[in-house]
Amino acid sequence: MPISKLAVIRSTIAAFLIGLAALGAIVATTFWLVSETGTYTRLSMAIRLQRAALVDLRILLQDTETGQRGFLLTGEETYLAPYDEARRRLAAQIELVRTRLAGVPEDTAAVARVVEIISGKLTEMQQTIELVQAGRRDEALAIVRTDRGRVLMEEARRLFESMVANAEQRIADSVARQQATIKWLYWVTLLGALVIVAVVAGATWMAVVYTRQLVAAQREVEALAAGLEERVRERTADLGRANEEIQRFAYIVTHDLRAPLVNIMGFTSELEASLASIRAWFDKAGVPADDPIAEDARLAAVEDAPEALGFIRSSTRKMDGLINAILKLSREGRRTLRPERIDLGALFEAAADSIRHQVVEAGGEIEIAPGLPTVVSDRLALEQVFGNLLDNAVKYRSPERPIRIRVGARSEPGQRLVVEVEDNGRGIAAHDHDRVFDLFRRSGTQDQPGEGIGLAHVRAMVRNLGGDITLASQLGRGTTMKVDLPRDLRKSLRSAGVNAREPARETSQNRDDRG
Amino acid sequence: MNQHARPVKIVMIEDDEGHARLIEKNIRRAGVNNEILPFANGTEALAYLLGPDGSGEVSSGRQLLVLLDLNLPDMTGIDILERLKSNPHTRRAPVVVLTTTDDAREIQRCYDLGANVYITKPVNYEGFAHAIRQLGLFFAVMQVPEAD
Repeated sequence: MPISKLAVIRSTIAAFLIGLAALGAIVATTFWLVSETGTYTRLSMAIRLQRAALVDLRILLQDTETGQRGFLLTGEETYLAPYDEARRRLAAQIELVRTRLAGVPEDTAAVARVVEIISGKLTEMQQTIELVQAGRRDEALAIVRTDRGRVLMEEARRLFESMVANAEQRIADSVARQQATIKWLYWVTLLGALVIVAVVAGATWMAVVYTRQLVAAQREVEALAAGLEERVRERTADLGRANEEIQRFAYIVTHDLRAPLVNIMGFTSELEASLASIRAWFDKAGVPADDPIAEDARLAAVEDAPEALGFIRSSTRKMDGLINAILKLSREGRRTLRPERIDLGALFEAAADSIRHQVVEAGGEIEIAPGLPTVVSDRLALEQVFGNLLDNAVKYRSPERPIRIRVGARSEPGQRLVVEVEDNGRGIAAHDHDRVFDLFRRSGTQDQPGEGIGLAHVRAMVRNLGGDITLASQLGRGTTMKVDLPRDLRKSLRSAGVNAREPARETSQNRDDRG
Repeated sequence: MNQHARPVKIVMIEDDEGHARLIEKNIRRAGVNNEILPFANGTEALAYLLGPDGSGEVSSGRQLLVLLDLNLPDMTGIDILERLKSNPHTRRAPVVVLTTTDDAREIQRCYDLGANVYITKPVNYEGFAHAIRQLGLFFAVMQVPEAD
């Protein structure tokens, strides 16, 4: 399944965000646990202190009772020492218990009750001790026997036990809560780690698949590009071959047309020579007045046959001209081009010199733009092309105004150059703009000699140089010929793969076509 | 031409009968009366020049002048030129290439192979007739060696 670039970007960002979220959850949970642990630790500490205070208070209370009991039994003041000591410390201890258990509402009542009990118990013990000290030991024992002190003491013990148990319970709760938090952290970390691993694995898989796709696509593109180049080369070679074939065809056809033409012309001349001797005979012998056959023969020799021969001759001459034109075109196509550096300015000056006297006589002018560039091209072809264009400009000038010819050039993208030859001549009608470049086709009034070869030849040469020629013209206003040329012929020759052409060899195979 | 020894024969290899006729007429008009042997194709011409075995011994002792057209139905005149100029018996026979082709490379090639004269047939008849008559005058003064 192919993965689109957008999907890869989207899923990579999603994976990154999911991973970040998982990591964030783990970190947050850890922080939470640390703070919770601190809370629980402080809480446990407080509870332990509460418990210690309670236990100490109980011990002090028991100490007072122990001291009182010893004194009651012996009556000796030394036994009273623990009692006094404990009693002295009780008040502070009670205060400590109160402070420490202030935050435990459930024990408030019990604490209050314990304080009451201690107070009651101390009163009872102080009473008995004072009675013993006063020598009224029996009265003291009677008070003890009322069991009031014992009951109080037992109640106090129960309360202490309950409160200590409470404290222990709270410690246990706190530990349990801490355990639960740790469990949470464990699961969150595990889950987060799983998510991160899954996301990383997914992203890696996607990256691998996508990279493979990219590599495959790149290979495909490379293969296609290579194939395309190969095809372009093949096509170019095909075109070159086809072009060569056409030129060879034209060359052979024209050559083969020439051979019978030589016969037609030759035997026409022979016939004329024969006719001349017949005419001479008629002139010498004369025609018998009563012989219509002889008169007909004389007319045939003197009028009909020479007329027919005249048509044959003019037609063959015309045909010879056409064949020569085709031959010239095909020969131009087969000519090996010799690229060299050419200064177009100098080339145009030289071309203009050959028509200048005509132009000046007619009161016109030729303007060659300064700074025409140099090109690398075939000198002979360019001379013929531009010479022909300038000749045409002079030849087809307008009789209504003095001739003005302007030559300019401008660069075009792709290392190309457009040379423009502009005139104010009679112009070319729009429907003839393409036609004038065809062989044997001419435009406008046929008042100038010519066979319609010039521009066809120009176009063949320009195309052979890797360029093209177009025109812009308005009838009666003037014509601009635009010659589009590569700046460097060598480059366009290399890319077309046709540098030097073998001349069309007239081999026995193409001779076979002949009748 | 060497009229006193054996007469020189002009071998004309030309497939176009009209051309052959016009050439013959104009050579005669130049006053050349040597025998002209016309051949319309390369095979027959080679059979005459080199013999049926192709060794060329048949031409031994002959005095030959070859008028050669390059465009032949069965082979090119260049093939014939090559065979004649590489054969010990015919290599000294003067060969005049007379053809419609005026391709510069073709002309070079013929001279490289040993052609003695290369003439392009002018299409207009005056030129053609003039050229052949000039050739005929040339024939009248040139020495043709006897083949080995």
